Parts: sequence; structure tokens; C-alpha cells
Amino acid sequence: MTATLDDRIVFEDVSKFYGEVLGVNQVHLSIPPGITTLVGPNGSGKTTLMNLMTGLVRPSRGRVSVLGIPPGQPERLFRIAGYCTQFDAFPRALTGYQFLYSFLRVHGMGDLQAHQFSFKALERVGMVEAAHRRIAAYSKGMRQRIKLAQAISHQPAVLVLDEPLNGLDPMARAETIALFRVLAREGSHVIISSHILHEVDQVSDQVILLSNGYVVAEGQIQAVRGEMHLEHPLQVLVRCNNPSLLASRVFAQDHVAEVKLHSDRLGLLVTTRDPNRFYELVNQMVLEGTIDVESVAPTDDDVHSVYEYLIGNEGGAA
Amino acid sequence: MAVYKRTYQGYDGRLTPAWSRFLIIARYAFQRLFDSKFLIAFFVASFVWPAICAVIIYFPHNSGAIALLHPSVREMIPIDGRFFLRYMVWQGSLAFLLAACVSPGLISTDLRNNALPLYLCRPFSRAEYVLGKMSVLAILLSSITWVPGLLLFALEASLEGTAWLWANLWIATGIFLGSWIWILVLCLLGLALSAWVKWKLAAGALLFGVFFVAAGFGAAINNTMHTDSGSLINLVELIGAIWAGLFRVKARTGISVESAWVMVIAICLCCLLLLARKVRAYEVVRS
Repeated sequence: MTATLDDRIVFEDVSKFYGEVLGVNQVHLSIPPGITTLVGPNGSGKTTLMNLMTGLVRPSRGRVSVLGIPPGQPERLFRIAGYCTQFDAFPRALTGYQFLYSFLRVHGMGDLQAHQFSFKALERVGMVEAAHRRIAAYSKGMRQRIKLAQAISHQPAVLVLDEPLNGLDPMARAETIALFRVLAREGSHVIISSHILHEVDQVSDQVILLSNGYVVAEGQIQAVRGEMHLEHPLQVLVRCNNPSLLASRVFAQDHVAEVKLHSDRLGLLVTTRDPNRFYELVNQMVLEGTIDVESVAPTDDDVHSVYEYLIGNEGGAA
Repeated sequence: MAVYKRTYQGYDGRLTPAWSRFLIIARYAFQRLFDSKFLIAFFVASFVWPAICAVIIYFPHNSGAIALLHPSVREMIPIDGRFFLRYMVWQGSLAFLLAACVSPGLISTDLRNNALPLYLCRPFSRAEYVLGKMSVLAILLSSITWVPGLLLFALEASLEGTAWLWANLWIATGIFLGSWIWILVLCLLGLALSAWVKWKLAAGALLFGVFFVAAGFGAAINNTMHTDSGSLINLVELIGAIWAGLFRVKARTGISVESAWVMVIAICLCCLLLLARKVRAYEVVRS
């Protein structure tokens, strides 16, 4: 890993301590473009990691670089980075438009450009109609969207969004996730922190799992899950016409830890330490014509399961 | 991992000069401040005394008024350093009250709402943020102190002629410098207290406390110990000593102008230190 990569966000042995309190410790990361989600319990270091990326806190040790730019150079960094904090922090007397316009002026845009970019951002988050209403009169969801608008308004290459889906209704969530996908397709880094694990699954290209200030796992969630098969065998649900036969064949395999017959007797839940060998077996039986398979789907290779296995309910690192 | 092609178009247009961006903060702050009718009334009332001073300056130069009253009307209220010092004391008091109304809400609201990351995740430093907030107060206070003060000076100079202007240029310097010292002290104290207590009402009360409690405490020290050293913690007397020096009149306090300068600078440095500790983009968590 090297800090000179200019299309990645790089953490090299980064630690941050707030006095005696640990923020994050010994973080090594290289985040590519796309949607990356930070997942972890409260106090796990998600916001600290985001603040480190945006230079709002300086690492106690190690180096951070954002597309090759050290966060210590805000004039360069914030040309390419946008940050949306989790806090409802607004000059509430302003209208949504004034809020965006004034912060774009702080970015150094002239009057006309600030006006144009404000409306572009408002359009992207679907807030044009509410542009001239005071933020104080906005709903929680509207405030989230206007915060998102301020983060994307100067068209940054790196978007750091702390809990951006909180408070959004299902429709607004879907629209916001779609916007993240568009931004990611354009080649932006979209870094999101979220507690809503099923949405993390939908939205993320990769996840970073944090616990107690440590990175517990990172990468594409299926790849992370793949590395855990020995400690936490994968559960696969096979729906077929003859699950009993499949069960008898599966039992003979040494990688299979457990087999459960589904209550409707048309499904089999297999727990295996070697999914590839299990899939091969299923393929073989299909080719032999001994079973007709309706579906084969892992049931615990999502973020929720990985989170449960690695972090657990108490938030302690596995 | 999906394959992404970089197609976004970042802003690459012209930028405004970096030094001017702090003024953006003041832009909407004024709009919010002047939503208050009380503040508008107070602000307008702050120009009553300068208007009276203008009349006092103009009156002795009006032939009708001289004929009506007495030729010696000119000697009744001489327009000199003492006259402008009196103007400064009155306007300075109003500036203090205005600062006590405005300054507590400038930073405390942002800190309480965790809004600082919003400002600081831009090409914008903590110093520029403080400067921006300070500019709100500085512009307001300037408009009721040195700006009308210099206009009064210009009025007198235009009526008296160039000789008076050159002979009394030190008065203009006194108005400008004296006002700015006062503005700076009020801005720094107001912002530092606002950042420290993060509660608008408490910050306002504390500002009064710094002036009046410290003044009382200083007076008690002076009385019990038969010394002038107590005046060193009385900001009003410190500024009074500096102004007296600038307007070439005898100070009421026993402290020297030099020690007043040293104390005022020390107070300003303490305020800057407090601001540097408190104005941060994140909350330091202590277990």
C-alpha cells in the first residue's frame, strides 16, 4: 500500500487518541472509488475515521491521504471533498438556497456560479421546490437532504457522509441511495457510515467494519464472509424437490457442519465450511437428474451476519 | 467491486480571493440580527449622540445661532480632544451594550449544534471562521464608533479649515485607534465567552460580569490596599487610561498607559487562547 495512489483514500498505520480515549488505532486502509460503508457500533471510530479523511482531526500517528492530497491542505482537499456531518447543524434562519449559496461562496465561487451550483445540487436531492423556504421549517428528511446537497454542491470527487440515511422516509431513502449509485458510477468515492445494515448491503461496493477503534474487516462483504468460513460456516438454503436425498448426500461430506430440513419439506438449510465443494455437489446432483433445484442462496453472507459474527451484540471485536 | 469510470466534472472555474471569504459569514448574520426590532431600535438610537455632537459642532459656525445666543458660544463647548473623548466614552458604552446583545449568539449556537464541521470542511480555517464571526461584530461596532467619529472630525475640519485639521490630526488617530482597541477587546471577549460557555444567555451575563464584577473587585483591592493595582483588572479603567493617552487628557485612574496596554494585550491573548482551544471541528471526549 502506498500513499501516492491518486485515486484512493489511503490510511497508513493511522491512530487517533483524544487524550486517553482511543478514537481509532493502527488503521491501514486503501479505499477505491465506489460506495464504501463504515459499519460499527456507537463509539467504534466511524466518525473519527471520517474526520481524519476530511482533516477535521489530525492523526496522532500515521498518515492519511485523499486522492494523493494530505488532509492538512484544506485549500486543495476541500476542492475535491464534500462532508456531510451527522449533526443537524444549520444557520436556521437561512433558506435552503441561501444555505447552499453561502457555503459555495465560502468555497470561493463567484455569485453566478454559486447560484447555478446551488440549484444543481438542489435538483439532485429533489429540493428545488423547497429552496426558498427556511431550513427551520424543514422536516427531518428535508434537512438530511439539504445537508447532502451542501456536501455535493461543489461537485466533489470524494463524498464523506455521516449517517446520511437517518430520518429519511422509505421513498427518500430509495432516492438517496440511487443518487449515491449515480455518484459512484461517475467515479466518485462515496464514504457512508450507517447503522442500517440491510441498506448497507443494498448500497455498498465494500464495507469497513469497525469495533472499539479497530478495523475488524474490510472489503467486499462476500469476500470478507469467505474468509470466515472456518470459524463461522456459511449457511446455504437450497430449495429443491427432494431435500431428503440431498440431505443424505450432504451428510457424507466432511465440510458440512449441520443440515436442517425446512418445515415445508421443500428446503434444506446446510451449514458448510467449504461452500465451493457444496455447490459442486449440488451441481453434480442436478446434472445426474436426481434433484430439481429451485434456488440456492446463502442466508448469512450479508453485512448483518458478518457484523454479528465479528462484532456481536455487545460491540466487542471478535 | 464494480468498475467505475471517472466522469464527474468538478468545479474548475474562477475563485474569489481567499482573503475575502471570511466576509461570507457576516452576510446572513446581519440579516438574522436585524430581524430583531429591538436591535434595530437600539442601533438607530446609537446615532442620536453623534447627531447631537454634529449639532454642537455646527452650531458655533452658524451666524444666526451666534447672533441669537452669544459670540462666546464657541468657548462654551470647545471642540478638542476632551470633546471627542466624551463622544468616545458615550459611544463606547453603547458599543459594549450592542456587543453584549450580539456576541453571545455568534459562536455558542454553532458549538452547541456541532456546526463547526460544516464550516471547517471547506477551504476555510478556524482563524477565518473566528475572523468571519468577529467581522459581524466589528462592522456593527465600527458603524457606531469610529465611522461617525471620523465624520464628526471631518465636519469640524471642514468648518474650521485646513490649519485646524493638521493641528488636530492626532484626534482623528485617537478616534480611529481608540475605537479599534475597544472593538477588538469587545469582539475577542464576546467571542471567547460565547465559545467557552456555549450558552447564549450565560455568555451575555458573563460579559457583564467580566466588566462589572472585575471592576468592583478591582475597586475593592484599591480601597483596602491603598493602591492603584486593582485597576489593572478593571477593563473600563484600562481602556480609559489608553483613551486618555490618545486624546491627551489626564486619566482618572492611577495606572500608567503602558501598564494598561500590557494588560489589554494580555487579556486579548487569553481570549485568543480560549478561542483556539474551543473553536474546533470536533468534541474532545473524555472518559
